[in-house]
Amino acid sequence: MGKIVIEPLSRLEGHGKVTITLDENGRPKDVKLHITALRGFEQFVVGRPAEEVPRIVPRICGICQTAHHLASVKAVDAAWGVEIPEPAKKLRELMHIGNMIHSHALHFYFLAAPDFVLGPDADPAIRNIVGVIDKAPEVAKQAIALRKYGQKIVEAVGGKAIHPVTGIPGGQAKRLTEEERDEILKDADQMIEYAKNGVELIKQLNDQYMDKIKTLGVIDTYYLGLVKDGKHNFYDDTLRFLSPDGKEKVDFKPSEYLDYIGEHVVPYNYVKHPYYKKVGYPDGIYRVGPLAMLNVCDAMETPLAEEYRKEFFDIFGFPANQSLAYNHARLIELVAACEKAKMLLEDNDITSDDIKADVEPKAGNGVGVVYAPRGVLIHNYETDENGIVVKANMIVATTHNVPTMEKAIQQAAQEIFK
Amino acid sequence: MAVKVGMIQLCGCSGCHISLLDLHDKLLEVLPNLEIVYAPIIADPKEIPEGIDVFLVEGGIRNEHDEHLIHEIREKSKIVIAWGTCAAYGGIPGLGNLYTKEELLNYVYSTDSTDNKGEIPSEEIPPLEEYVKPISAVVKVDYVIPGCPPTPEMIADAIVALLNGEEPKLPTKIVCDECPRKKENVFPEKFKRTYEGRPDPEKCLFEQGYPCLGFATRAGCGARCPRAGVPCRGCFGKTDKSLDLGANAANVLANSGEAALEIPDKVALLNRFTLPDALINRKVK
Repeated sequence: MGKIVIEPLSRLEGHGKVTITLDENGRPKDVKLHITALRGFEQFVVGRPAEEVPRIVPRICGICQTAHHLASVKAVDAAWGVEIPEPAKKLRELMHIGNMIHSHALHFYFLAAPDFVLGPDADPAIRNIVGVIDKAPEVAKQAIALRKYGQKIVEAVGGKAIHPVTGIPGGQAKRLTEEERDEILKDADQMIEYAKNGVELIKQLNDQYMDKIKTLGVIDTYYLGLVKDGKHNFYDDTLRFLSPDGKEKVDFKPSEYLDYIGEHVVPYNYVKHPYYKKVGYPDGIYRVGPLAMLNVCDAMETPLAEEYRKEFFDIFGFPANQSLAYNHARLIELVAACEKAKMLLEDNDITSDDIKADVEPKAGNGVGVVYAPRGVLIHNYETDENGIVVKANMIVATTHNVPTMEKAIQQAAQEIFK
Repeated sequence: MAVKVGMIQLCGCSGCHISLLDLHDKLLEVLPNLEIVYAPIIADPKEIPEGIDVFLVEGGIRNEHDEHLIHEIREKSKIVIAWGTCAAYGGIPGLGNLYTKEELLNYVYSTDSTDNKGEIPSEEIPPLEEYVKPISAVVKVDYVIPGCPPTPEMIADAIVALLNGEEPKLPTKIVCDECPRKKENVFPEKFKRTYEGRPDPEKCLFEQGYPCLGFATRAGCGARCPRAGVPCRGCFGKTDKSLDLGANAANVLANSGEAALEIPDKVALLNRFTLPDALINRKVK
């Protein structure tokens, strides 16, 4: 009998706790994940001119703020029926990739790596980025360099590294100059090397911890990701569900999301439980993020990442269902993002001045989707004839993962308390 | 001797923490002087210890847990810093004060994708306060580092000043002083929304008719937004001489007469980052 409360959850952004109720034999009988904060963005963007919302919603998260900025401005463009110039699309994609690079490096090296580099039984006082810097200074230096590179890209294209501002209805408010492009491109090859080092590192760490990877947080779920022509895509195009056995793929467009995704309110969590509507709740809960993205796609878009993806499935099987394999998947995506950044920077369109179409606000309903660092991100706004937001719905990356994180924690608790 | 530092995210987004990490390799110079005893975003200790020298508090007060934590932090810390605009002035979550907490809850739990609309979660999670407050509304605050987020340099300068036993110094000018655009000292006759036309990159945005709050906002950001082609939204908050950023901004806009009345959504424009700190700080029935 008894109750264990783990609060606050650490080495993450946001506010959560886990409660484990034990039975008379000391076994977990009830394990819950509670997200303990609510701000109400969906309500308080109502009444705002739609072009101001991309300047408000980045404050949902200080790490993936760029993803919110872009999903938001895409939703406004969609609501107003705006086609933005091709160079503006590439600029937004580059901004998104820059944020992905900083965030994936932050997530693995600063937040997750301490568990692997220092070990889960290390003194909590050193099991953190400071401990990683002490124990593995070369690794830390490369992590810092990758973050700096990613933030530099966002600042150059978005105006600010944290909470960018240049996405406006019709395109972009600022072009990328040749000097800015050259200054970033000069490091592109080095960053691909650093990202490759990350994958080599995780393969070593996997060997050390494979028993835990194959037993803790191993669950079967649906998976949701973003693809373009069937391939992994950070920025655009088509949403795809994959069944837990990996055999069934269902593609749909962002504008159709309400036919495929439902959310179930649970009494002990400010965050709702999303689920795949065709299956229902709770069987239709699904995972998003790097593990899901690698599972749902036919292939990666870039060559080095694609080699690593094949190797990943040799190690983990297909579909990979191990929660602790997320880290390896994330580092493969970091390689992909660095490869993609170089491709975009070498495209002549990236310094174009043709970055803004004319725009008239109108009554409409638009959905904007990107693949944010922790998963699929959906912003959906309805506007009146003056372009003022009258309704909003946002399903943010980690939200999709809340019910499946809970399931993984329940499974891990059963294993640990055996 | 290392200074004992605590860091926390209350009702914030973690952007201030990330801005500190954006010191990148310079972080390696600052860190050895700090003993980080509590910082859940990057470290595992779960209890706030006694005897903290400096506590950096990101985020304002939105729920009862935030309120409980800020009291505990104040008791256990020599110096409490309102770190970022949310802690100092309420920030973007302060826009929640345009609605009642009941409206916020009812809306979120009845969106189009929600199947059991109207169920409001309430078990084992902290209730919302009636409205968002800056931390200074609840405890005495020693210093403010404003910004959304503050620049990495501002955060480093403040920490270094405190390590040397000095007071952190904030910029005293307004954003216009840092903005490279040419000013002709004319008030616009008509206002435009950000997507209208293509602004002249050399000239003052406000004078071209784009409402820009630079004239009412503390400097420190380097005028990043006007440099990037979009108007300032006041994220660094009011200057030392000001009681209310929104009221000061309204005074300037009023010089354009009737045209200023046409600007949509004035309350949320003028108080975008600072509503909880305004003289009228929430929707009053």
